[in-house]
This record gives sequence, structure tokens and C-alpha cells, in this order.
Amino acid sequence: MAYRPEPDRDSREWWERIARHEFAVQRCDICGTTRFPARAFCPACRSEAWHWQDVEPEGRVESWIVNHQAFVPGRRQPYVVVMVRLAAVPGCLVYGNWHGERPPEPGERVRASFDRIDETLTLVNWTPAGSLDPHPHQRTSFR
Amino acid sequence: MTAIAGVGYTPFTKDSGVSTLTLACRAVLAALEDAGLTADDVDGLATHRVGDSAPPTLVGPALGLTDLAWHLDQFGGGSVSHAVVGQAALAVAAGLAETVVCYRAINARSEFRMGGTGRGVPASPEVQYQAPYGYVAPPQQYAMYARAHMLKYGTKAEHFGHLAVTQRANAAKNPRALMRTPITLDDYLASRWIAEPFRLLDCCLETDGACAVVVTTAERARSLRRPPVLISAAAWGGGTSHLSAPDADPTVTAAAALAPRLYAQAGLGPEDVDVAEIYDCFTYSVIVQLEDYGFCAKGEGGPYVASGATALDGPLPVNTHGGFLSEGYVHGVNHIAEAVSQLRGDAGDRQVPGAEVALSTAQPGYILPATSALILRRS
Repeated sequence: MAYRPEPDRDSREWWERIARHEFAVQRCDICGTTRFPARAFCPACRSEAWHWQDVEPEGRVESWIVNHQAFVPGRRQPYVVVMVRLAAVPGCLVYGNWHGERPPEPGERVRASFDRIDETLTLVNWTPAGSLDPHPHQRTSFR
Repeated sequence: MTAIAGVGYTPFTKDSGVSTLTLACRAVLAALEDAGLTADDVDGLATHRVGDSAPPTLVGPALGLTDLAWHLDQFGGGSVSHAVVGQAALAVAAGLAETVVCYRAINARSEFRMGGTGRGVPASPEVQYQAPYGYVAPPQQYAMYARAHMLKYGTKAEHFGHLAVTQRANAAKNPRALMRTPITLDDYLASRWIAEPFRLLDCCLETDGACAVVVTTAERARSLRRPPVLISAAAWGGGTSHLSAPDADPTVTAAAALAPRLYAQAGLGPEDVDVAEIYDCFTYSVIVQLEDYGFCAKGEGGPYVASGATALDGPLPVNTHGGFLSEGYVHGVNHIAEAVSQLRGDAGDRQVPGAEVALSTAQPGYILPATSALILRRS
């Protein structure tokens, strides 16, 4: 694997949940604002009180790129990275590889695909919401 | 009031063959020579870098300066290039130092390539949400934002291409520029994909070189060799990150928040700017900043460029030196130095006649969540 994520003290539990195929964001106990990625303070009310909240792993395609060179070692080109606006946190943009037989479409609804790398690591990639990933074991150009 | 009294360069190359410390010293001395000063006049040094160059605490002693009154070693990419000069101006205005040289030395081709080989991934908590997907480098990140702009506003590849062609035409008139052979829109469209929607000619050069500017009081600058260029406004701020955006809109940059402060400080507006040296790590970076600095309506940056507005003979000449796309990549300082040259009237074949007010900008806050900018005036 080219790059293994290095969880920090704010994000470790999020990655552990992802490894269990649970998609959670933080919700502020005081004002209810959701946020991602994980961090201690609510940017809306500055409270440190929060809890994990399971949400639908869904969003919409905001943009994407088709990579034609190996920006990290071990990638087969071309590979697609999508920018997804999370439904549960509208101000938040997340990234992942595209699991689709065709290019993404602007604004397209997508669902997370939990791709298990090994016992402790699962990555979140994105697949068209209208389809089930037909080849869950062929992680697009992951290796 | 503070001023820029001199500018200095090393040659721009693909392999300098020397250390960044040597490059830094050469550019600092060249800028002092331009101002009619020597290293003995220097009491401040400032730079920005990302762990890839020589800090003032090395450059000072290397030039025999063992008691700097003020220095700044700013971590950060192109977002802070103009903030460094702003902070030097503050130090001079506060009386902490009288003569501060701001420099950037970089072996960005032969040693540490930005976001590429020669260095690891940045130490940011945001990296864990991007790098596992093969998403790490500035051309990828800017391409992602560029497509968002294309989808929202109908910006086209041809718009990016017009900008690349225009800046190359400027570089053809700049003896310092690394890339001086004119290109056409067809050349642009035929250049290879890097990260769609970006082609090779959307991307800046990777350059070895250094550039420096001398900041001092306006009063002192008036007594020196060159016509002084006044620092009329210096502003920094704004902010986005890869995982969120201002107003949740990735097509708006930190410049939108900064621009009103900048113009208010200078007491003028975009209509007063005669020449603009705009941070062009990628073509799209210029197009979005033309909007966010108020030269055209939001979403109109592409058509604005395609209209010829930013050409040397247009109403707003942009990147008259060729920019990072064609002159060379010195992380923002070469944009400031070119603005100075234009306002002094010594820009040779690429001189904008009668230029009195220049805007120069830093990376607009997509990579590091901040930006900075200067407005400079002829004295």
C-alpha cells in the first residue's frame, strides 16, 4: 500500500469505526452542529461537548479528477479521485476513489464503499448511489 | 510609510548546482546592489519556506550578519509569500529594523519538488483523508477545484489555455524567463494530461532560483539609487481547507475575504490597478483570483481572460513576467519583484506604460488555509 493513513488523537476512533463499516460524524451536544473531520471543538459554538452520530454514508459529487501520472507510488493510471459533499455535513468535502464503470456525473448521488485493506484498516471510496458495486474486491487502482 | 528599494535575482534554471543557502545569499546581495546598499546596511532578514531552504539564521551568519535586529522564518507555502513582505514592512514601520531583505531560495527542480519526489507527504492531519486515495499533490488539488468551477460556471479548457498562451507571450519578452517560445491554443490543448481537467500547460514550472526584495522606510528609499515603490497595502487572512470551504463553496477562495481589507487599506479599488502579478501555480488560480479580487463578476474569470483583458495591451495586464507558468517558480517573490519593476518603469519590452498601481497576490488559500497580497504604488 502506497500510503497508510496515520490517525491522530482526534481521528483514531473514526478510523476504528470505519473499520467496522460504521460511518459516523461528530455532533455538538450544545448546538447540534455536525462536523467532520474529527476535532475537539465545535466551530459554530466552541463547545468541547460532542458525541459520535451514525449517519448515512451518502453525498453528492462536487468534482473529480482523472490522474494520468503516479502521484503516489504504486498507482495504475489513470485513476479517478472524487470530491464528495457529505449529506450529513453540508459544508464538508471528502475524497475517495471512484468505483464506477463510467465517469462521475456532476451532482450525482453517491454512497460510501467500505473497502477493507487489512484487519485494522478500511478505506472509504465512493460508488453511484443507484448501483451496488459490482466488483467489491477490485478496488479501483488501489494497489 | 514603507517601500521596496531594490530587487535581486539569481538566474532561473532546472539545476542550480548550488545550495539554497548560496542561492539565498546571491539574491540578497543582488537586491542590495540594486538598491545601492551593502550587507552592512541589513538589520533584518525574512523568508518563507516549507523545510526546503535556508532560514535567516543561516543566511545572516553566512553574510557576516551576526546581530540581526529582526528576522522571520515563516513556515508556509505560497500562501504566505506576500505576508512575509507585509510583516517586514510592519517591522520597519515599528522601528524594529530599518533594512529588511525578504528572499525565497528554492531548488524546486533539482532537489525538493513540491508535492512530488524528494519529500514525504506534508505533516497535516488532513493528509490522512486524502493521501490513501492517491490524492496528495497541488496539481491534483487545484484540478479538483478547477473542475468544480467549470461545472458551476461553465469555465472551459480554452479559457485556461488563453491564460497560458498570454503569459507565454509575456515571457517571450522577459530575458529571465525559462520558457520563452510562444505557444498557441492548439499547443495548449495538445499538451498531455496531468490530472484532468489539467494539462501540462496548466501547471507551473519547477525551478531552481532565488529572488529577493529590500524593504525599508519610504524616506530612506527616496535617498537610494532606485525609484522607491511604496507598500500601499499589505493584507493577509481568509481561509479554506481541503475538507471545507468558505460558505461551503470550493469555487470561492480566501482572496474574497481579504480583498476588501486590502483595497480599503490602500484607499482604492480594482479599477485603479494598472498591472496585476497574480499567483499562478496553475492557470485556474489566476482565473478564480481575478473574480475574487473584483476584476470581473464571479464565474466570469474564464471569459474575462479569453477576451484579451489580461494581455499586455489589455485593460489589466496580468503576470507580465510570464508568471510561474513561463518565467519560473520562486514561490511568489518573483511576482512581487516584477510588480516593482513595472512601477519603476524598467520592465523593458514588457513594460506597461505609465503603471502606477500594482496588485500582487499569494496562493489564494486552497492548499494552506490563508492567503496574502500587496498593493504597491509608484512613489
